[in-house]
Amino acid sequence: MEKVLVSHQQNLDKRAFLTVENLRKAFRDRKQVVEAVKDISFSVARGEMIGLLGPNGAGKTTTIKCVLGLVKPDSGRIEVAGVDCLRRPRDAARHMAAVLEGARNTYWRLTVWENIVFFAGIHGVSKERGKDYFEYLLEVLKLKEKRNVEVRNLSSGFKQKTALACALAKQTPLVFLDEPTLGLDVESSYELREALKELQASEGRTIVVSSHDMRVIQDVCSRVVIVSRGRVVVDRSIPELISLFRSRSYKVILTVNGANGSLSVEEIRRKLESSFPLSSSKATKDTLEIQVSLKQPAEIYDLVEFLRTTGASIETISQEEVDLERAFLEIVRRDNDSCGTQS
Amino acid sequence: MWYTVLKSSWKQCYLLTVRYWFNMLSGVITLFIIFLMLFMGTKAVGAGAFNLGETLEGLFTGYVVWMVVMMGFQDLAWGVTNEAQTGTLEQLYLSPMGYKWIGVFMQSCNMLLNLVFMAVMVALMALLTGQSIHLDGVSLVPLFVATYLQANGLGFALAGLALIYKRIAAFFQVVQFAVIGLLVIPWNKFPWAKYLPFSMGRHLLQRVMIDGVRLWQLPLSQIAILLLVTVISLGLGLALFALAETKAKTKGLLGQY
Repeated sequence: MEKVLVSHQQNLDKRAFLTVENLRKAFRDRKQVVEAVKDISFSVARGEMIGLLGPNGAGKTTTIKCVLGLVKPDSGRIEVAGVDCLRRPRDAARHMAAVLEGARNTYWRLTVWENIVFFAGIHGVSKERGKDYFEYLLEVLKLKEKRNVEVRNLSSGFKQKTALACALAKQTPLVFLDEPTLGLDVESSYELREALKELQASEGRTIVVSSHDMRVIQDVCSRVVIVSRGRVVVDRSIPELISLFRSRSYKVILTVNGANGSLSVEEIRRKLESSFPLSSSKATKDTLEIQVSLKQPAEIYDLVEFLRTTGASIETISQEEVDLERAFLEIVRRDNDSCGTQS
Repeated sequence: MWYTVLKSSWKQCYLLTVRYWFNMLSGVITLFIIFLMLFMGTKAVGAGAFNLGETLEGLFTGYVVWMVVMMGFQDLAWGVTNEAQTGTLEQLYLSPMGYKWIGVFMQSCNMLLNLVFMAVMVALMALLTGQSIHLDGVSLVPLFVATYLQANGLGFALAGLALIYKRIAAFFQVVQFAVIGLLVIPWNKFPWAKYLPFSMGRHLLQRVMIDGVRLWQLPLSQIAILLLVTVISLGLGLALFALAETKAKTKGLLGQY
């Protein structure tokens, strides 16, 4: 992975609210050792909302659980609000709350209100102290009407919102949301994102969102940390990352007639694959639509030269619109390719 | 912080007990029916090889102590299993107090609920069987609490195993029988048995309930043994739980089921 994408060392701000440095964790059993986290470093400033992305098994959840003290790391340093999480886990826990992936996070036989009061309570926030804020959360998350409904009788969207309310009710400055929109329909996901944005704007909490849903990350986060195979491969602001990929992604439409010594569609595709591994193509009767992601901006000259040698007519050549999902896929593909090359 | 966490844990324990009332009621009825069958069987054929006492009074107190012990460790061990199963265990671990204390607080609530439940059960059992027993609260409660805490030690040890292995139902059943064993080992044949968990608790509870002895009339040496075994059982249970907790965190098992 190119150095330009991995700028996390610069982002290890000394005044950061959360710092994760050289985190390592391997799970061992008699048969094998799985290195879930090989070397992860990043930091998050107070009031920042960042996205933690990565393919399945990249080490996102393990990283989050190490920070939360649910998994014991092999080595590394984790600091929250200046508190060393590994040496003083109980003190660090005062600053953190989380909605965890795959877990229910709430008691299904308790009502929405009872869950909020309980989870805030075991974090030291009494009902008397937090009552007004709990009411505010119900309002923002549109849970007011469900206040006295047992969680088991709620839809997935409301269950997820309840879990979020329980985490936020603890009033901790740092909140982890692991797959907060998993299993939600479009409307519920939208509502949850809107609520998150509103809460972030009004409270300025530090929030780390881990999700496979790129729309969520692109919508609510300012920065993204992409993890692949237990390492950070990207640590950038989202607009920066997208513009970086936009300037390198091109779409070319060629007319291929096979006359005057020009190459056939199949020949062009073969050559394209060998010259530009990060490319794809789609052929119709006489045209070939090519999508190319360049590793370096300067490769544009190689692309033009390649197109010239094909002998085909260039109908259009345009810079592609790139969203976070596309950028993410390219990054992970490149990382996998570089892994294959190294091995 | 402590007071808020304690209050929240108690409220949650109470609410869940009320919500799962059928589970509690069916448990009460089952225990009651088992007792009646044991009692009638013993009355008809005399003390057999597998009972909790030589006499009907012995059976009565033995069964009561057995219930106390079962409640003392079942709630804790099943608690961890259930929390892991329902996905709330990790959330409890996020509390600055840690799960151990929340477990202790919830357990103290369970203990109070169980004491009330036991009092009703004992009165009902005495009424139905015609057994005359002494329900001296001042003497019984401390002895019940001590015996209950010994069972909590076993509960913490089993909860630790549940953290790592999740499904321990089969082992659990073996432990239930082992507990009966601890309650019925006769002191005259095995004098060292009085140092085993639950044994002294059972003996002293029997003295109070059957013989009508008051707490302060009990031999000081026996009270000392009861307290010592309580401290050791609970300490060992907590230590094993802490070990299991570290192992579960190292292996990333807390959230798994």
